[in-house]
Amino acid sequence: MTYICSICGYVYDEEAAGIPFAALPEDWTCPRCGAEKAMFDPDGKEEAPAKAEAGGQVQTPVQLSPRALSAIFSNLARGAQKQYHPQEEALFMEISDYFLSLSPAEECNAGDLHSLVSSDLAGIYQECEEAAVKAADRGALRARLWSQKVSRIVESVLSRYEREGGRLLEGKNVYVCSVCGFVFTGTQAPEICPVCKVPAWKFDMIS
Amino acid sequence: MEMKAVRNLRLCTKDCLCLYVCPTGASDTEDSVIDAQKCTGCGACAGACPSGAISMMPVRLPLQQEKDAEVISRMNVLLESLVRREAMADKLSSDADPVLAKVAQAIRRSSRLSAEDIAREAGYMLPQSARAIGLLKELVDNPPTKDFPKASALALIRALEEM
Ligand code: SF4
Ligand code: SF4
Ligand SMILES: [Zn+2]
Ligand SMILES: [Zn+2]
Repeated sequence: MTYICSICGYVYDEEAAGIPFAALPEDWTCPRCGAEKAMFDPDGKEEAPAKAEAGGQVQTPVQLSPRALSAIFSNLARGAQKQYHPQEEALFMEISDYFLSLSPAEECNAGDLHSLVSSDLAGIYQECEEAAVKAADRGALRARLWSQKVSRIVESVLSRYEREGGRLLEGKNVYVCSVCGFVFTGTQAPEICPVCKVPAWKFDMIS
Repeated sequence: MEMKAVRNLRLCTKDCLCLYVCPTGASDTEDSVIDAQKCTGCGACAGACPSGAISMMPVRLPLQQEKDAEVISRMNVLLESLVRREAMADKLSSDADPVLAKVAQAIRRSSRLSAEDIAREAGYMLPQSARAIGLLKELVDNPPTKDFPKASALALIRALEEM
C-alpha cells in the first residue's frame, strides 16, 4: 500500500520502505517537502484497483420496469451534473428519456393515486426501514425517511383535494422542493424545507 | 490525492477574489467553468472565495459503498411503487379539473425526485461506479428495443471508465 503527500505528491511505498506507514513516528515528516504525517493520504487507486469490486456482481436490470430504469438514469444524470460533467449528464438523460418513452400510461383517477400512496405508507416504508436498520445503512434510512415524509404530505394534499376540490388552491400556488420532493401549497415557498432543510430558493413553483 | 477546483455558478457572485489568488489563471475563463487543464489543485481559490462557491474535488472518487442485497431488493420495490405513482400523476396532470391537474403535476415531480433518491440509495449513487457502468453494458448487450441509444450508452461507458 502507498501513501501520497498531499502537498508535494511524494509517494511513500510501505513495501519498498519496509515499514508500515502507521508505524512511522508521529513526528515523521515528508522527506521531500517536510509536510506532517497527517498530510498524507492513502492512495485509493492502489488499495482497490478493480473497479468491479464495488457492489460485487452486477445485478441484472431486467426485473426493473422501464420507468424505474428511467429514474435510475435521471438520478445518475444528476450525479454527473453535481460533478460538473455536462456531457455525461446529457447522455444519461437521453437514456432516461428513452426508458420514459417505453413506459406505459396508467389509467386512473385521483382516488387510485391516493390509495397507492396510502398502501405504500402502510407497508413498504416499514419493510425498507427494517432492512436498512439490519444492514446499518443510514443512507438508505435517510432516503426512506424523506420519501415517507414526502408521501405523507402527498397523501394529505390528496385528502384535502377530495374535501375541498377547487378551493384547495384558492389564492395559492403549489411548490415542490427540488431536493426531496416535498409538496407545499401556499402564497410562497417555505423558508426552509420541512423535510430536507434546504432554503426556499431550492423550491420550484408549479405553473 | 489529486484535486481539482470546481465552481458552483449558482453561488458565485463574481467577486473575483479567486482570480487574484489563482497562480495559473485557471479560474479566469469566459464560461466561468474552472479550466481543469490549468488547475493545479492548490486550493487557494476555494479558501479565498467569500461565497463558498468553489469546492475542491478529488480527481478520482472513492469506490461506491457496498449495499446489502436485502436493502436493494426492498428499496427496488419502493422504487417501482414511486414510479407507478409518477405514472398515475402523469395521467392526472392533464385532467380537465385545473386544480387536480396542478396538484398532479406537483406529485409527478415529487415522485420522480423521491424515486431518484431511492435509486441512489439502492446502489446507483455514483455515475462512475461499477454498478452503473455494468447496467449500461448490460443494456448495450441486450437492448430492450431496437431504438435503444446504443451509441450514446457506449460513449457514456467510455467516459465513465476514464473518470
Ligand atoms: S471568489 Fe468565489 S464568488 Fe468570487 S468570482 Fe471566484 S468563485 Fe465567484
Ligand atoms: S485550485 Fe489553485 S490552480 Fe486550481 S483554480 Fe484554484 S487557485 Fe487556481
Ligand atoms: Zn408539519
Ligand atoms: Zn426538501
